[in-house]
Amino acid sequence: MRSNMKRKEFIKKSAITLGGALVGPYILPSGRLFARTGAEKAAHVVMVMFAGGVRQQESVLGRYLEDSQGVSGAAGNIMPNLFTGNAPTKKVVYGLDIPGEPKGTDPIPRIVSSPLASQGLVFNEVTAQSAGHYVGLNTLITGSRGIAQGLKVRPKSPTVFEYLRKHRGFAATDCWFLGNGIGNSTPLLNSSDNLDYGLDYGANMFIPPVTFGSFGRTVLSNAKPYSNLELEPMYNMKSFLDQSFALEKSLQTTIKNTDEERTRVKAFIRNTYTKQSLGQIAYPPSGSGGDAVNVAYAGEILKEFKPRMLALNLSQVDGCHSNFTGYLRSLHRADHIVGWLWEFIQSIPEMKDNTIIIVAPECGRNLNPNPILDENDWLAFDHSDRNAMRVWSVMVGKNVPQLSVGDEDNPVGRLTDIVPTIADIFGVYEEVMGSGYIDPLAMSQFLRV
Amino acid sequence: MNMLSFKPLTIIALITSLLISCTREINVDYGVNDVAIYETKAQKHKAKNEAEYIAILYTNLTQEAISPNLLYQTQNVMYSIGDQNVAKEMLLSNYFNSQNLKIPSDVEMRLNVEQFVIATYKRFLLRLPSEAEKQWFIRYIENNSNVTVEMVYTAFAASDEYGFY
Repeated sequence: MRSNMKRKEFIKKSAITLGGALVGPYILPSGRLFARTGAEKAAHVVMVMFAGGVRQQESVLGRYLEDSQGVSGAAGNIMPNLFTGNAPTKKVVYGLDIPGEPKGTDPIPRIVSSPLASQGLVFNEVTAQSAGHYVGLNTLITGSRGIAQGLKVRPKSPTVFEYLRKHRGFAATDCWFLGNGIGNSTPLLNSSDNLDYGLDYGANMFIPPVTFGSFGRTVLSNAKPYSNLELEPMYNMKSFLDQSFALEKSLQTTIKNTDEERTRVKAFIRNTYTKQSLGQIAYPPSGSGGDAVNVAYAGEILKEFKPRMLALNLSQVDGCHSNFTGYLRSLHRADHIVGWLWEFIQSIPEMKDNTIIIVAPECGRNLNPNPILDENDWLAFDHSDRNAMRVWSVMVGKNVPQLSVGDEDNPVGRLTDIVPTIADIFGVYEEVMGSGYIDPLAMSQFLRV
Repeated sequence: MNMLSFKPLTIIALITSLLISCTREINVDYGVNDVAIYETKAQKHKAKNEAEYIAILYTNLTQEAISPNLLYQTQNVMYSIGDQNVAKEMLLSNYFNSQNLKIPSDVEMRLNVEQFVIATYKRFLLRLPSEAEKQWFIRYIENNSNVTVEMVYTAFAASDEYGFY
């Protein structure tokens, strides 16, 4: 009887131990024990912050020149990779230039098999939380309304990278931010200075037009490739010095990779210069300017690191302040490079069929034009009124439903929904929403539908 | 008048003023030795900005001032990389691949490791090492024959403390 009891107790304890091991908490890099609260919808997310202030009228609504310049019969879709709808047939100026013909008469052919909007979840009328670029980028990357803009100021609320690294345990090289310029504190969007999160959980970041542009090549391309045997003593001595200095968290100025990650990132930079000199960087075929450079190097990052979370910004359509024709051309090319990026992702075996791409502008543009005329006598648009707070979002990929939500008269969702949506994709929705830093009106787009 | 009566008066006035104005210098010795003053790490809490870091590092390694153009380019590149340790290490290895460095040779380092360690602390961190720090580095360099001046300098220049003043 007594031995039977012992056996029962033994089996009971074993079962508890086994159960605990199976469903027990994950030990996160933060040192906390934390159970994941939801299943992962996809292993990778790529977020495109598109593309410098986009009017609803020329993008999701497909009205081309009808709403902007009052040209009747000139409606049509100039973003064939993102949205459905026929291209305009009248006054086409946004395409490629054909010698001997008026500028821009040849639209760039669609890259994706069918428009991304038809493959996934579209929110047609989303409320942006600001009519400005930097606050808009802050909103997309933090899930809360940016509260500060100044010279070299980090976001005040945690970024999506910090949420994922802290609550989901991602490594620094799992999270990347690629900016297309060093203005507007853009390079600081890889991490907030929030003391609950902050640089310990920030993402890796490059500004490809600078890092891999002529400045980068001048300053860094002659760097020595050190062997591990050489690196080890350097890291040991640096580590000793850093421990001795004991930098306070509030004084930290940079995100940190592990020694191994740092070695890998440095090797990536060196290899990229080599590939550049050999002409081996893949570019969107008809892209041009900083946006195309940014997307091309995003491709290199995706190939090398297969990041769990990558965000990049595009901004060339902001030329709309003074050149409406240029804006149309940039919008068409931004659509082209997003299509290229999605196809590029499908060429990476580890990411194909296991990635979600989210595309959303950081802000819209005005309803009424400013007085600046361009080469076609078309008026330009700034971004400061109510119309500039109207945007859209497109999400495509694994486990994303095929749905079109809301319309011009029925806005659904907020731009601050994007971070909760990403948290939802990675199964840490409750933790992120419970952090206290997310817009209280925001929610996952999966739940909105 | 009076040139004749004026001359003696002038001479007397000059002699008197010379006698009054000259005093003997007194050397005061308080018995205190001259001491070189260095920073302490505890007082370093201001981060160097990119321009300061780059200009100081370049001058440190080459004993020359960096050109404004190269400073501007380097500043932009540093700002364009998220992990500043990656940026610093890349920059340093780029410098160490150039010809115009003015740094001690490895042989000089090994001839007197203690002196090298003290000089390196003063050169980069503007302070003397504590006894523990000095001993750690002496032992580390002596026990690892593959450690070079370049490695030591890279560790110092990429250290957190070097980023502050």
